[in-house]
Amino acid sequence: MNQPLITVKGVNKYFGNAHVLRDLSTHFNGGEVTVILGASGSGKSTLLRTLNRLEAHDSGTIIVDGIEVCDRLKDLDALRSEVGMVFQQFNLFPHLTVLQNVSLAPRRVRKTPRAQAEAQAMQLLERVGLVAHAHKYPFALSGGQQQRVAIARALAMQPRVMLFDEPTSALDPEMVKEVLDVMKRLAGSGMTMIVVTHEMGFAREVSDRVLFLDQGRVAQDAPPDQFFGGQQSERICAFLGQMAGRVFEDTQTHKEKANEDAPDPDQRSRGGVVCRNDACPCPVEQGDRRVAPGHQTTA
Amino acid sequence: MRLSNIWCDMNQISFMLPRWPVSWDRRQRSSATIATASVALVLVLWLLAIPISWAPDPIGNNAQSFAEGARVTFGLTVIASLAGIVIGLLAALGKVSRVPMLRMIAGAYIWVVRGTPLLVQVLFAYFALPVLVPALKMTDFTSACVALAINVGAYNAEAIRAGLLAVPRGQIEAANSLGMSSRQTFLDIVFPQAFKISLPPLVNNIVGLLKDSSLAYAIGVVELTNAGNRIQSATFQPIPVLITTATLYLVMTSMLTQISNAIERRFDVEGKLA
Repeated sequence: MNQPLITVKGVNKYFGNAHVLRDLSTHFNGGEVTVILGASGSGKSTLLRTLNRLEAHDSGTIIVDGIEVCDRLKDLDALRSEVGMVFQQFNLFPHLTVLQNVSLAPRRVRKTPRAQAEAQAMQLLERVGLVAHAHKYPFALSGGQQQRVAIARALAMQPRVMLFDEPTSALDPEMVKEVLDVMKRLAGSGMTMIVVTHEMGFAREVSDRVLFLDQGRVAQDAPPDQFFGGQQSERICAFLGQMAGRVFEDTQTHKEKANEDAPDPDQRSRGGVVCRNDACPCPVEQGDRRVAPGHQTTA
Repeated sequence: MRLSNIWCDMNQISFMLPRWPVSWDRRQRSSATIATASVALVLVLWLLAIPISWAPDPIGNNAQSFAEGARVTFGLTVIASLAGIVIGLLAALGKVSRVPMLRMIAGAYIWVVRGTPLLVQVLFAYFALPVLVPALKMTDFTSACVALAINVGAYNAEAIRAGLLAVPRGQIEAANSLGMSSRQTFLDIVFPQAFKISLPPLVNNIVGLLKDSSLAYAIGVVELTNAGNRIQSATFQPIPVLITTATLYLVMTSMLTQISNAIERRFDVEGKLA
């Protein structure tokens, strides 16, 4: 068993009166890919953001690679240069070229000489397939390309762990794959990754562990096979059904889709999603067929 | 060419940019424009008396006075606007600071300066300040510079603050998450973006300052308006004299806009400016 790289112990976080993280404890091992799932407002992004102090937790302790996460500036800078982060909205620096975006932090924080930082940046851009765009400004790139630059920018600091905060949620559907492919390759290279996402396919295929948050608590912590395959919790089943429903809503309203796909109204699930694969072992309860992602053939 | 065309051309703030070789990129064009317009500005101010002297009397025979007045006006503008940008930046930082005391000082400064007439401020700097603090006895020109700098600084503060606040929070988070210190984040990430956003209102303030510098007249600085009015009262020919005065202001503001537009274009990486 790996040594935990990140330990979270009894963490509480409030936004005003809202108690977003409730006495949350967990740990993340080196080399592991963890996917954090949960409904909107369940605290998953907040948890991620407390790990590099973009949000300060109100009580409890977080230790990342031996450094306690707190406001001491020296520790904070050390912490942040070990923890890379990729944001939903990319947050590339619009006034800098792609190459400058990737090479700026190593030059400023690590004091890497410019030529060396740029050579490293070019290698990273090669890894994410964007060498040809090195001298462009972010506005000239597609969303998927911008997010790949953002990944390269975070990797340029050679972090021990990479945090992804819904990295594909702001992307057009056809660009999701290119970003997920980069993330898969990164996972394959042994990088420790913590990913907040709604991409169930990615969670099933790439993650070592799924953490389901509900109302600021860890509601389930399971390997993906167990999480998606043998889900016992009704709450999580309902969530997964809704997530699968999103696939339909992208193209048509789910009512139309359900009518078209399921001539038998009894087969319609509570979330309006129907598994069209008769061989699929979706849990069937009270005449509903709740569908886990990957089980329904449209996905 | 019809008059409206000429007017359009003058208003086409970028009329100098398209003249550069086609192969030059945005940066080269903008640098060339900044350099050319700055050199032209210095040359025009230096040699201004020559073209004015070609005009019929009472303008031609007073060419030196007009030229000297324009140089004083320009001097007031340059000194006050440079100081005003520094003051404005400090006040803007004060206003967005996390320290309540700094926020209060900056807020009070902006409140007082924006809420009182510039003419009163100019008179105060020249007449009242030396009474309050004898060490601050200054020449009329210096007093005018101080009053104008403090005045434009308050307006600049709000322009710069708007720019600072317009930089998305995610930019700061991204820089922080890369381990950049707050100083590095400000210098490399926030300030360049805020400056770009603040530039049009800052230019507006500086053009306004060039015209408002005429209030230095009140404490006896012989700037362009004062020079013109002296000639007017000596010759009793208000029409040609005031038209000349106004034209000289227009020439100076036009050249300033040339430079500022080129600077704006330099930061326009997204090609938003047509």
